[in-house]
Amino acid sequence: MTLIDFINLLLSALLLAGVYAVMSVGMTVIYGVMKIVNLAHAGFMMLGAYFALELFQRFGIDPILAALLAFPAMFLVGGVVHWVLVRRLPRSNEPTLPSLLLMFGLWLVLQNLGYLIWGNTDRSIFTPRTLSVINLGPISISKVRLTVFVAAVACLVLLQVILHYTWFGRSVRAMIQNRYAALISGVHEDRTAGIAFGLGIGFAGLAGGLLGSLYSFDPDFGRPFLIRAFVIIVLGGLESISGVAIGALVLALVETFSILFVPAGYQLAISFGLLAVALIVLPGGIASLLAKARRLA
Amino acid sequence: MSAFSAILPARWVKKWRSAVLSWALLFALAVVPLLIPSPNFKRLLFTTFLWVTTSIAWNLLGGFAGQVSFGFAVFYGIGAYTTALLMNAGVDPFIAFLASACTAALVSLVVGLPAFRLRGPYFAIATIGISEAVRVVMTNLSFTGGASGYRIVEHRPFSQLEHYYTALLLAAVAFTISWMIAHAKFGVGLSAIRQDEDAAADLGVNPYTHKLAAHALAAALTGMAGGVFARYAAFIHPGGVFGFHTSVQILLMPVIGGIATVWGPVLGGFVFGIVEEEIVATFPQIHLLLYGVLLILIILFEPGGILGGLNRVVRRFRGKH
Repeated sequence: MTLIDFINLLLSALLLAGVYAVMSVGMTVIYGVMKIVNLAHAGFMMLGAYFALELFQRFGIDPILAALLAFPAMFLVGGVVHWVLVRRLPRSNEPTLPSLLLMFGLWLVLQNLGYLIWGNTDRSIFTPRTLSVINLGPISISKVRLTVFVAAVACLVLLQVILHYTWFGRSVRAMIQNRYAALISGVHEDRTAGIAFGLGIGFAGLAGGLLGSLYSFDPDFGRPFLIRAFVIIVLGGLESISGVAIGALVLALVETFSILFVPAGYQLAISFGLLAVALIVLPGGIASLLAKARRLA
Repeated sequence: MSAFSAILPARWVKKWRSAVLSWALLFALAVVPLLIPSPNFKRLLFTTFLWVTTSIAWNLLGGFAGQVSFGFAVFYGIGAYTTALLMNAGVDPFIAFLASACTAALVSLVVGLPAFRLRGPYFAIATIGISEAVRVVMTNLSFTGGASGYRIVEHRPFSQLEHYYTALLLAAVAFTISWMIAHAKFGVGLSAIRQDEDAAADLGVNPYTHKLAAHALAAALTGMAGGVFARYAAFIHPGGVFGFHTSVQILLMPVIGGIATVWGPVLGGFVFGIVEEEIVATFPQIHLLLYGVLLILIILFEPGGILGGLNRVVRRFRGKH
């Protein structure tokens, strides 16, 4: 492998990490605030992808813009789902059996609705951008991946700003750190949880829309990405937003470079291997490693 | 029953009633294929027994110990493939079934050893991961025929009754194990873990080994069910035995019947086994939708499943709350 190949792979891993982070961050927010593992994330990602496709095909809206529009749409869907279903779950400080089963049931429903509406044929979003590349000397960057990356990073930055500079963001971070203390300090649990859930689902829709520009999809397309999102949030330590960014980068690097050694069909097995390694070696995720380093320093 | 409750402690009477009910059910199910010789009827009950077995197995871990797994298809598939490979190598099918149980139990340790070290959602997450990973590997593996499946060569003459009684025996064994666990120290330990893991650990229950043991036992039963299915079907493929819908069904049955009870998973397995055929035949397009809606409704409105609902009705009927 030459240096040029290495740089090309590194760049594509970095560009992939952006959209991986977007798809996992929604799960982290929901888990952090409500301690619910959102198994339906895959279903909402699928909805986001079809949302972008429909806007693109019917109205000719640019698919990246359509993906960004999927965010507010899915935010509303998430709010409704929270109000109708999730709100009724028993509250807990750790994920409960009912919450897992409820989200799982919701995933089945969404997936089946997808099949009913759009059938099971593979769809893809194809624009002039899809196949064009930017050449920087010997290094070539896919234009669509670059745009997706820029959109993803912009949204992540926006999320960080919201979490750090608004009252809603403060209450979300307070809920993540200590639910009881947050309630005592006057955080409105239902409202915060509802908006956080909407935010998480919004990010799922956005990630789905962005992924739809990169890969072809069918109503079951979220599943492999759901597992990747799990790996990323476990690597990141489940509740840490900055951990997600690092986890996404680690997974993207491992996946991209593993192509050199393992056939592409086994990629999911690799993500799972990474998950097992993370559970054994680094149970608190990368965030715990960072915290330890900070304490030592 | 009142005569008994006068001389015996109430706890024994309850056990005694349960024992009579289970023996009567076993006897009825053993006789019924001789009275109704329709092959389709026997096949329906045969698959129902396998579902009941897997439902009971899931409940050992998911119900008693409260550890939700979304990946029981892994054990079902591993069991099916183990039996298939061994039978084609000339091994007696019943030894192959035992080997299936052992292989599935070993695989359960691969998931459980890392995932049970931690509290929280790690185990549930890991089960989704491994079921996808295993299916991908099996689809690409060449010596089992990959995605196109694997055929099993039966050396004995085909007898549907033999298959029927094998499945019935397996379900009975699974029920006995579940019943014994529910009334033994081990089962009390499991339900202590479900209710409060810290308190259980303080009282000397080791959550790690308890969960591992329950997982291995559940996997062994599920693997054996997979093996019995493989011998009957004579053809298996990764999309079927390792399929996502297999995991969904295995999880759905105990939830329908009532988790963390002895009879709930049996009830759920029977209801599901018999209704599922109709559902899939009538609404092939939306059966996952129906499963999902059912799951959501049960979780939100009747977490105790059918058994919980029945208990509530009986209590209201007797005027107690």
